Amino acid sequence: MNFLKSTHLLVQFIRAKWYIYTSGILFIAVANIVQAYYPRILGEFTDQLELGGLTKSMIVNYSLLLMGVGITFAILAGIGQFHIMYVGRIFEFFTRKRLFDHFTTLSESFYSKNGVGKLLSYVMNDVTAVRESISMGVNQSANAAMLLLSAVFFMLLSSIPLYLIIACVLPMLAIPWIVVRIGPVIRERSMAVQQSLARMTESAEEQFGGIRVTKKFAVEPIMNERFGRTVDTLRDNQLQLVRISSLFQALIPFLGALSLMVTIGLGGYLTIQDHISLGEFVALTLYIRMMVNPLQQIGNVINTMQRSRASLERLNDLLSKRSEIQEVESARALDLHNTSIRIKQLTFTYPDATQEALHDIDLEIEPGTIVGIIGRTGSGKTTLMKLLLRIYEPPNGTVWVGETDIRDMTLESLREQIAYVPQEGFLFSTSIRDNIAFYQRDTSFEFVEKAAKQAQIYNNITAFPEQFDTKLGERGVTLSGGQRQRTSLARGIIKNAPIMILDDSVSAVDSVTENHIIAALRSERKNKTTIIIAHRISALKYADLIIVLDKGRIVQQGVHKELLAQKGIYAMLHSIQEEGNPHVEGY
Amino acid sequence: MSKGTKGTDHSMDSSLEKESGLNGRLKYRSAFGALLPYVKPHWKTFLLLFGCIFLAVSAELLQPYLFKIVIDDYLMIGNVDLIIVVVICIIYLGLSLTNLIFSYLQNNLLQKAGQSIVGRIRKDLFLHISRQSMSYFDRVPSGSLITHVSSDTEALNQFFNQVLLSLLRDGMTLIFIIVLMFQLDVTLTLYCLILLPIIAFIAIAFRSYMRKTYQLARTSLSRLISFVAENLAGMNLIQAFHQEKEQQSQFTDRNRSYLRANLREIRTNVLFNRSFEILGNLSVAFVVWLGGNAVLNRSMDFGVLFAFITYIRMFFQPINTITQQWNMLQSATVSIQRIWSIFSITPEVVDMKKSIDIRLDQVQGQIDFNHIQFAYQDGSPVIHDLDLHIQPGEMIGIVGTTGAGKSSLISLLCRFYDVKTGSVTIDGVDIRNIRQATLHRLIGLVQQEPYLYSGTIVDNVRMFDKSISRDAVIQACEFVGANQLIERLKDGYDTRLSERGSGLSAGERQLISFARIIVFQPKILILDEATANLDSHTEQLIQAALHIVSEGRTSLVIAHRLSTIMQADRILVMRDGAIVEEGNHAELLGQQGYYEQLYLHSQGQTMNEAG
Repeated sequence: MNFLKSTHLLVQFIRAKWYIYTSGILFIAVANIVQAYYPRILGEFTDQLELGGLTKSMIVNYSLLLMGVGITFAILAGIGQFHIMYVGRIFEFFTRKRLFDHFTTLSESFYSKNGVGKLLSYVMNDVTAVRESISMGVNQSANAAMLLLSAVFFMLLSSIPLYLIIACVLPMLAIPWIVVRIGPVIRERSMAVQQSLARMTESAEEQFGGIRVTKKFAVEPIMNERFGRTVDTLRDNQLQLVRISSLFQALIPFLGALSLMVTIGLGGYLTIQDHISLGEFVALTLYIRMMVNPLQQIGNVINTMQRSRASLERLNDLLSKRSEIQEVESARALDLHNTSIRIKQLTFTYPDATQEALHDIDLEIEPGTIVGIIGRTGSGKTTLMKLLLRIYEPPNGTVWVGETDIRDMTLESLREQIAYVPQEGFLFSTSIRDNIAFYQRDTSFEFVEKAAKQAQIYNNITAFPEQFDTKLGERGVTLSGGQRQRTSLARGIIKNAPIMILDDSVSAVDSVTENHIIAALRSERKNKTTIIIAHRISALKYADLIIVLDKGRIVQQGVHKELLAQKGIYAMLHSIQEEGNPHVEGY
Repeated sequence: MSKGTKGTDHSMDSSLEKESGLNGRLKYRSAFGALLPYVKPHWKTFLLLFGCIFLAVSAELLQPYLFKIVIDDYLMIGNVDLIIVVVICIIYLGLSLTNLIFSYLQNNLLQKAGQSIVGRIRKDLFLHISRQSMSYFDRVPSGSLITHVSSDTEALNQFFNQVLLSLLRDGMTLIFIIVLMFQLDVTLTLYCLILLPIIAFIAIAFRSYMRKTYQLARTSLSRLISFVAENLAGMNLIQAFHQEKEQQSQFTDRNRSYLRANLREIRTNVLFNRSFEILGNLSVAFVVWLGGNAVLNRSMDFGVLFAFITYIRMFFQPINTITQQWNMLQSATVSIQRIWSIFSITPEVVDMKKSIDIRLDQVQGQIDFNHIQFAYQDGSPVIHDLDLHIQPGEMIGIVGTTGAGKSSLISLLCRFYDVKTGSVTIDGVDIRNIRQATLHRLIGLVQQEPYLYSGTIVDNVRMFDKSISRDAVIQACEFVGANQLIERLKDGYDTRLSERGSGLSAGERQLISFARIIVFQPKILILDEATANLDSHTEQLIQAALHIVSEGRTSLVIAHRLSTIMQADRILVMRDGAIVEEGNHAELLGQQGYYEQLYLHSQGQTMNEAG
């Protein structure tokens, strides 16, 4: 049962592509049988030569035969090899696609536990490992098995005595054993090399990222030494690896040579004694030579299989993960225009957390209003918004839109009607235009421009030589924190959605620009709901309702003037921020 | 402490001179020639390596020769001397053992030399890059620098690891085989040498195509990876905007082009390898035909033919290996060129030959900007004729919109860049005459995004300088009020932090960078938007810390929130590279200019009231 589960991905794939597989293996098999004739022909040729029964025309025939065998083998094996490798790459293609599709269904609770680096290693390393075993592994084992079988078969068929064959092959039989023994050690050490290489890269990353700080404290020599240590570790690990891998590389031909030594001694003796012919002696040497490679390949295949079994299990595990956020079957699409949002006795604890993030929240947001939420880091502001977007699952019956529990809405209709602008201002490495028109890439240009103007980023964009077609990211332009936030804001504004959430989206913007943005939003979103989360009172003082959150509870709510009049967090924040009083006690 | 630093700096300077001399000669040399100075110290190892390869290759190649002797001298004749068979067996064993031992040694020797060379280059490259001026880092994205230090040197490593070994060993094998073949039969060998131009033709015909194919596959792979990485990082946005379908189809495009590139690579490789294989098999058939006739005419012994067949098959192995190294050789060449182009860059800001050694503890902290002008690019000045004089211990606040020149002013004071005209002086000494290391110790800079290194909190505060005691660090943390948050952490002051700050909020990380300032005691303090992006609670801690830190120091504070600078002794308003308003809070409000507008905005009393 367990076995079935872990090969799930593979079974499906092979079931779909078995015919290519079979034909590939068939080609390889035939090719190897053909190739096994090679020593036999040369052996016969030798015998004829020794007996003196050879004529010029027979020599031509033998050469043509050898040529035929050689060309047939190369072509057949080439076709077979291509088939098998093709299957491997197709597997890779489909698996990566499945993985990516699957990634888009997983929720934030999954991503908070799994870093990008770890997930990338599924897409790169694990898929590659499985691909190697189903293409290179199959290729090599088909090759090796056929070659060994036909070599043994032809040797048995000749009149070479069995004990001679066994004696000659015996030393070589240690090859697969050695491969299996040393292989994992090599792998372990080469992983150590990879890790220390990664650590060196990280170190360089860190030093160049913080170069300004390093320079300002004039501690370059210390940082050079820190980096130097990672270089030394890498070198030492690499030398450790080479010690074992070069032993391995030298040992395999040595074992082959031992077999040949037995052949030369015992075989030579038997030839002198006329127990076998010279032709058989020649054929035997060639067969023994032929067997060294396949034996090594078998060892390799065993190692590859072991490695990829773990990878396959990891992939199947990942693909069987389900997001905890699932649509109910009766889910409906709903229009959120002129719909109120009501939150009823909402208490929420993050999965795997012990402390409640939100406690007994009751809140009613009328359609077309601006609601401000303020509170210190960790007070639950963002959590509340994530529940509203169903990025995390709110308990049943706690979040309502109109008369419907949001869990009865389709995710598509929910998310299409909420424009969410997160704090970090994450942008993709595409053009600015594609970033702003993210919700619908073919939006006409005038809307993109309009949104950029409302987000106060228009002038910055038009200052670039390529304007809206400017590429962002590693190979393009790097925007400042404030510019990123405003671009991200434009991406939200352009949706013109019935509900908009600004999650501390203007924190890196100066106060003049912030005011322009708020003003634009107030006039543009007249009959739509806007929720503004902020640390700064200036960003939300004109809200129709201001909520003060602290430790997951609503501690104050009302309009700016009311809250100022109350003694509480709000008034205190106001005093710190707007009166420049840094010495308020107690907060 | 500062003495130790000085010593290292001097040695850095002298090695810099050596390097720039090396760069001058570099123009006349190829990329690999530039490697020579690094290879030279290891010449003994390389000599030894050559000997090992020679022994290993001869031991390997003499084995078929032994078969020839057995066949011709004993089996064909029917000589029945058992002892001879035993002796030959022992010789054979000896040859195999020699091959085993020297192959092993050869790999280890090569790696030892290669790894030391690559390690040395890595360190030098890192040193060279970190010695560049800030302008360099502003211009070149750190991503590409990391690529140079890790990937490019790794390509160099593979060159030593695989390419060089293959060139030496396979090249020698090839020569040996040809020599042995001549030894066996001259005519047959000459016929076989016809193969060489054919092999060369195939290799050349495939080479550029294979290289293109290889590069295509690499490029599409790296596109695929960066796409996935970015989409994983932005998955919450993709889901919040319901763009799963669109991104999936974009992924499929990249996935498909990678598949296509791969299939093309497979096709090329299979075709290439098989054509060599066919050629090898053809030549065996050819040898059998020619040699068979020769044996028939009694002009050749059968053993010779046998050995010849073995050698001609062996002949293709080294050629195959060498051609497979081409791609790697190619990428190694490109990498070496890139590495050396970095080595040839010289820092824009350099220490004067005769720097004035000023004593840190005697600095008063008077700063004068004397009619300075500055431009990042010629023709578009960022600062025009700015004249500013700051008294020791004064606290200056600077406000202004983005692009007003605030950060440029700071960069000039830190000498990340040099002024075009005018001068910047500290206590009357032109900063160009102060050694950079001293200047940097003199001025403390706290930026908007605090940077933490991977290491303990203690090490982060003292910047890994072991000469600063742990107690001094703890004291500094208590001083800025970071002690409470640190003691809350699991391992207290020994908690390991990472680049991303692991678990600390932006404000908490900023507190740690304030503690750094306390420990290093700079005479002049600059805060560049150090309090943006914080929640009020942390900002309050920071404000308090700032108060303590700025005590007795000349300080410059840039902020876009007025609350941070209202209490400054003097506030400057900058616009378009000039100071347009100047005075304390009350005076500036009286001027009814930009500052007053800014103040009203922050109070939210203009736009919104009107709208």
